Amino acid sequence: MLIGAVIAGIFFGLYFTLVGLGLNLVFGVMRIVNLAHGDVLMLGGVAAWALFTSLGLHPLVSAVLVLVVFLVAGLPVYYAVVPRLLRSRDSEMLSLILFFGLSQMIEAVTTISIGATERSLPPRLMGVGPIILFGTRLPKAWFYSAAASAIAVLAVYFYLYRTRLGTLTRAVMVSRDEALATGIDVNMVSAVAFGISLALAGIAGVFAPFIMGSITPNMGVAINLTAFAVIVVGTLGNPLGTLLGGIIYGVSLMLMQTYLSSWANLLPNLLLIGVLLIRPEGLLGRKVRRA
Amino acid sequence: MRSKLLALGVLAASGIAMARAPAQAQPAAPSQITIGELYASSGPYASISMPVYNAFKMWVDETNAKGGVQMQAFGNKRIPIKLIAYDDQSSTATAATLYNQLITQDHVDLLIADSGSVLTSVGVPIAREHKQFLFDVSGTGAAFFSDDNPYIALMADPVSTIWPHYISDYLNDEGYKEGIRTVAILYSTNDFTGTQAAALKGFFERDKKVKVVYYQGVPTNTSNYTVLINNIAAQNPDAVLELGYVGNDIAFLRNLQDSGNQFRFVFTIYGGTEKEEIEKNVGVSAVANTFSYVPASNYEYKPEIGMTQTEFRAAWEKKYPSGSGVAFGANAIYGYMTGLVIQRTLETTKSLDQMAIHDAVFALSGKLKTLDGTFELRKDGAQIGEVTPLGQLQPAGKDDLKLVAVYPPDLANGKAVLGK
Amino acid sequence: MHSSRTRRAILDAAIATSVVAVMGIARGVYSNELMLFNFIMFLTLSQGLNIIYGFTGYLPFGYVGFFGAGAYGFALAVMHLHLPAFAAMVCAGLAALVLSVILLPLLRLSGAYFAIASMAAAQALYEVIANPDLENVTKGPYGVSLSGVFAPAASYYLALAILAVTLMLVVWLRNSRFGMSLQAIRDDSVSASMAGISVVRGRTVAWTLSAVIAGLVGGVFAWHISVFYPDTAFDLSVSIFATVFLLFGGATTLVGPLLGVFILYGVYNVIGIAVPQYFQFTYGALIVLLVLFLPNGLVSLLTSRGIRVP
Repeated sequence: MLIGAVIAGIFFGLYFTLVGLGLNLVFGVMRIVNLAHGDVLMLGGVAAWALFTSLGLHPLVSAVLVLVVFLVAGLPVYYAVVPRLLRSRDSEMLSLILFFGLSQMIEAVTTISIGATERSLPPRLMGVGPIILFGTRLPKAWFYSAAASAIAVLAVYFYLYRTRLGTLTRAVMVSRDEALATGIDVNMVSAVAFGISLALAGIAGVFAPFIMGSITPNMGVAINLTAFAVIVVGTLGNPLGTLLGGIIYGVSLMLMQTYLSSWANLLPNLLLIGVLLIRPEGLLGRKVRRA
Repeated sequence: MRSKLLALGVLAASGIAMARAPAQAQPAAPSQITIGELYASSGPYASISMPVYNAFKMWVDETNAKGGVQMQAFGNKRIPIKLIAYDDQSSTATAATLYNQLITQDHVDLLIADSGSVLTSVGVPIAREHKQFLFDVSGTGAAFFSDDNPYIALMADPVSTIWPHYISDYLNDEGYKEGIRTVAILYSTNDFTGTQAAALKGFFERDKKVKVVYYQGVPTNTSNYTVLINNIAAQNPDAVLELGYVGNDIAFLRNLQDSGNQFRFVFTIYGGTEKEEIEKNVGVSAVANTFSYVPASNYEYKPEIGMTQTEFRAAWEKKYPSGSGVAFGANAIYGYMTGLVIQRTLETTKSLDQMAIHDAVFALSGKLKTLDGTFELRKDGAQIGEVTPLGQLQPAGKDDLKLVAVYPPDLANGKAVLGK
Repeated sequence: MHSSRTRRAILDAAIATSVVAVMGIARGVYSNELMLFNFIMFLTLSQGLNIIYGFTGYLPFGYVGFFGAGAYGFALAVMHLHLPAFAAMVCAGLAALVLSVILLPLLRLSGAYFAIASMAAAQALYEVIANPDLENVTKGPYGVSLSGVFAPAASYYLALAILAVTLMLVVWLRNSRFGMSLQAIRDDSVSASMAGISVVRGRTVAWTLSAVIAGLVGGVFAWHISVFYPDTAFDLSVSIFATVFLLFGGATTLVGPLLGVFILYGVYNVIGIAVPQYFQFTYGALIVLLVLFLPNGLVSLLTSRGIRVP
């Protein structure tokens, strides 16, 4: 049971890396908390569901479409909301409120258009039947989502460390004011990061019906809290940290389910508080922030 | 000062006189009966609340199309219904305010609670405080019902401890004969499923035949069961009972199929009670041959009032075509059935006084037969009528399942098929 | 100079007194008592939040944790110790006090980290209280029923008293040396500590005060509502509402949060009753617009023109 829980936890946690990755990027670059991240994820799931039921599109195809559409949609949303927000006195705090409002709007529109009941995609799309690894039976969908997550982590890493825009993004992460002073188009850099973040959430959403069974318009809040735990346990601004955070979350959740199941939800919260108090810079972090 | 007192005295005296005088003259009939109801269009309870609300609206429309309810209290005049419904968005704080709004501002004649225990809970003390009778649709919380509170009655969902006894009866009886010896119980830690799980555990321990080898609670928002299923499989039980909400059952059934584990007897609550929705979300193969409750939406009771289940379903699908986001299922039946109870109550009540309403509702107990089965109340207002047979989702033709009642024998219309 | 300060304090106190008086009279005039009770609840909570956020800059997103702790502190005292309601209220305050002391280390965190960590703490407490393993103590997920002490009138006036005390506390903070030093810490903690202000002590006092207020409100809520589930006592929307009302009106002032509650919660109830179908959307949009166009609250319309707002 122990080995089974650990193996399952690694794969399950990889999915939550994908969930947290975008949230991490936005917080790192803009110092704002996107409380609507979970709702964007939900929209990705709804898109996959709608594309399958109306056009019969395979979710892996939908994932590519969602990636492009959400990336592009992120740019106008950024310009409409974030620059104005960042001008306020306490933008970090106000972002919590603003994005809460946005998440309410997203939830309301979704509920009005498709109703509040559970939606899902047929399991067969990702293949029925287990993959057996060291005697542990795992759903096939977990492998697809873990692969997507690994690709996403590598892509974000590549973007940040191997492209020009990525280098500028890291400069903004270190200090927005200094980046502005050196003539970097901070808004453009941030807008792209915002778009990437939405795209990552959207892709995670496409897999959500397979990982969580179904999606509902009000699933966002729970997702957010988990995503926070994952990115704080890892390290802000570092995609590899989120990878580690996801795996730690996944493994410890599965161990809790095995040995203390009714207390399993206590875990992400305690993990988050514990890491913040003991090592606020995250497990992989250098001392980058005052706490 | 003295003249004021005198006037008060006269008023009081005439008030007493009026109250004492038998209703010789018919009291003036109201132009309409107002019914207040809460629903949740969003949030965690929307999926159980909206079907009730939509179905209740169908009853209101149906009634008003006939000119209203024929009330004996007002010389058999037909009086139309006016529905005042507010959206509490699954928030108990908002619901509390709105219950109060319906009672104190809108002065509704009848008050209907929102679905489920959590949103009903805040309404119970408010209704009692204002001496307003509460039509509790599906709030089964044990704390709501006490002998000293006459202002509540549970319409549809029987209290959670009554529901599951056919599961243990079947397993201890026919299941035992077929070689079932061990059972695993996995439940979501909330009021509704927690009480059923505890009741089941008690039944098994009392009867000492089938043994409980795994008994675990998981948080209600648990959305993956892969490791839990692996852990259950390690105990090698003959029967697995998973008690959760719709989202839990969907995730469990999908993960069970993914895991490739086979158990001889698998039970979920919503596989049967919200059959359409579960089938849509997990696929026919994942739910085939599992067991569930047989709710009224899948069992043809012979109603003495209102539409039959088939007629109601046809009417529902005409009004809310599939894709409208509100699924047909047990909750839809509950909403319509609440309308029927209210109809009979209004027809027979002596007046619109809330205690008269209470008397009229309780007078129906054991006598009212709707598409939801028999309506029967315990003295404290809890529902005990509706029996929910144990059923099995058996394959019927290609890509279709039929929910067959398999236990108890007098309600069964098929035979259970256990896995190997 | 001195007399103008006294005059300001008197004006503040007069505003506080009239709000309490209005809410007291309202009960005799308007019969939806629960709506009035909710108003009192949010008036108090948003001022409690004002004490920690307005005066120190810490925004606990999990403020509802103290509210829930108070509600269960009250409930446990009634169920297990069989205390009368007023004595159980002391337990409600104590429960929140103990929780705030346990969470003191969170004050080492800044900004969003603090906000999120406090939310996680509130969630963690909810998970503990709602756990079926503790059914014998907290009734777990099955909810509590306190119908034995149910007393809507008494609990209403007690809530009003808590509101009065809280408002006076805010008046005092705005007009005392201690309150000034708190604001100095918020604006620049390094200079403040160099000027001899005890940063740690100041924050600790504001934090525990604000927690105890929420605990008392939770306790009186439990008393007034008498039947509730852990989901009710730890409903995150309690935090969110109090925060939104505070920010809408304007933190650090006395009238800001008051206006926030009266206007926004008023609108909320009107929309909810008049146009329920677009309720959630309208409210969300209102919040977004508010943050974008009035980030420092309603009072900033005046303060930005150099007018002092009580």
